[in-house]
Amino acid sequence: MAHFTLAVSERTFQRSFDLLKRNLTFAQADQTSFGIFVAGYDVRAHLEGGTIDLRADNTISVKELDIRWDRLRFMLGINIPEICVGGGCINMPWPIPDICLPRVCVFSGNPDVSISPDLAAFVAQEVSFTGSVVARYFDASLPVPSPDPCAPIRLEPLPSHNQWHIHIDPQTIDVDLFDFPDIAGNLIENALSNAIRAIIPGGFVRDIILAIIGGIADFIRFLLDIPDEIDEWLSDLFNVSFGLLDFIGTLILDFFSSCNPIYRIDDPFELLPARDGLIPVRIPLRDLSVRVNDVEMVAEVNIGG
Amino acid sequence: MAFTDRCDIFGSVHEEGINRIVRHVMQQRPSLFNYATAFFLQRPELLCERIKVAPEVLRARDPLFSVEDPIPVLGSPVPLGLNWCLQFTDLQIDFHPGNVFDLPQELGKLPAQRLALYMRGCFGLDCLPERFIRELLPRVEAEAVAQRGKETFGIAAFPQGDKLAEPIVFPTQKLLCFCVKLFAVLHFEWGTIPGSPQMWLKVRLDGLELVDLGPAPLEEMVECYIKMVLQLGILPRLSVPIEAMVLNITELMRKQGLSIGETITLQPTPVPAGVPNNPAVEDDQLKAFVNLVVEV
Repeated sequence: MAHFTLAVSERTFQRSFDLLKRNLTFAQADQTSFGIFVAGYDVRAHLEGGTIDLRADNTISVKELDIRWDRLRFMLGINIPEICVGGGCINMPWPIPDICLPRVCVFSGNPDVSISPDLAAFVAQEVSFTGSVVARYFDASLPVPSPDPCAPIRLEPLPSHNQWHIHIDPQTIDVDLFDFPDIAGNLIENALSNAIRAIIPGGFVRDIILAIIGGIADFIRFLLDIPDEIDEWLSDLFNVSFGLLDFIGTLILDFFSSCNPIYRIDDPFELLPARDGLIPVRIPLRDLSVRVNDVEMVAEVNIGG
Repeated sequence: MAFTDRCDIFGSVHEEGINRIVRHVMQQRPSLFNYATAFFLQRPELLCERIKVAPEVLRARDPLFSVEDPIPVLGSPVPLGLNWCLQFTDLQIDFHPGNVFDLPQELGKLPAQRLALYMRGCFGLDCLPERFIRELLPRVEAEAVAQRGKETFGIAAFPQGDKLAEPIVFPTQKLLCFCVKLFAVLHFEWGTIPGSPQMWLKVRLDGLELVDLGPAPLEEMVECYIKMVLQLGILPRLSVPIEAMVLNITELMRKQGLSIGETITLQPTPVPAGVPNNPAVEDDQLKAFVNLVVEV
């Protein structure tokens, strides 16, 4: 029996997942210039749908989590140097008034020409992911492998002391960069809904028709999503991901799974800090493990002798 | 049976884990468990019990004990002090069922949902050899005569002036030591505290026994005093309000820059609606059951 045990139920994971979806939004905007060119973006996204499942094979599965873009606006502009003509005056002898030419300038805007399409309605991503949580021991006395494959992507430098590292170890990842079923469904639903709203200003008849349209759009989404479902099912079955982008994603996440832990615990763990010239009290941690079954995730650790 | 069948989050600590932590603290911070006069800085081998310390304590030259003043020789006209030491040499915990140490007969078998504490302590006091007393006596007699007629309270003369005189402390050759073992049985219970509307988790003392202390009236008196210290002094300070056990996740996330429009808290699973005991003392462990509560 482990000395310390912490267990989190699948129900808690699901509720936390729902909370995350309800509350997590990503918004960012920036603009910069490169000589005569100006580029910028203004994006805002949130999460929708998807399920999380703890599985008996020691993995966690997130399926069909949609990244919905509320705003996905990119701006590209050109600043052309201002050109002005006219503006001078001709002095005339008295009593004839001076003749002044009007000054006309072009390209005085900033930027002069720009496009800023909002692609939010046309882009949607869907992420499916299966992975496990693993605990690994980092022994600072061992030499770092040479060459070090993690060096280019390591977010934090290697510690100078021993640590327990908690890693996410992805087994499959499926990212639909353009979720065509959702895009088509959204476009059809929006177009039909707008048409109905124009014809029928309000009332229960309009609500019923809109509900039917929603159902039709969902059906279209479902039909178009079937190949993707098969891909995800195969991916799940064979524990590999299909598609070049998915392969790259898996490769990247594999790198992250080995190189960047999501949590670090010092070993020995400092229980009481150094105080009044006394050394800190440190407790050795042994056998840290994280395992998942179909009802809960369990983390256990022992205290060394 | 899953750990989280009756709650959202489960945590437990095994008695062996706690006892190992206690041993590490005792060996790395010995000054918390050993008290003695400065004399023993040079002669630690004369203490009642050898202090076991971690090698890093010796390397860092950390003190092995907290330095205390000598015990005065009451009534002496010359300030005299005696070396002494107090050492807590062992401290263990045993969650039901009892199997780490045997309880004395007076406490019986450890009941369900109870935890037992065991502590061994040694006290040592110097006893001046007769030759030191003979050596001191002329000076003490002369001082006693010189102080005759001065105001005294009982057998102790108050020192004159603002400055306390440094006592004369003779080097110790051998401490007189005795060690006692203390056993206590405790349990957790929920209850209210006058003036506070919320529930509190309290630690209650069920029984206490000092072993190897005599005569019987002395044992009874010391036990009674220790019980009072525990029941009226230490344990009430350990009461924890349920409010302190509620972890406000919303607030934690807000501090991390993530604002959430819902109130999320971790709260103890209610007793007995959720679980029969929370915390539960069973299977050699202390178990805690926690629920995730979300309020819009």
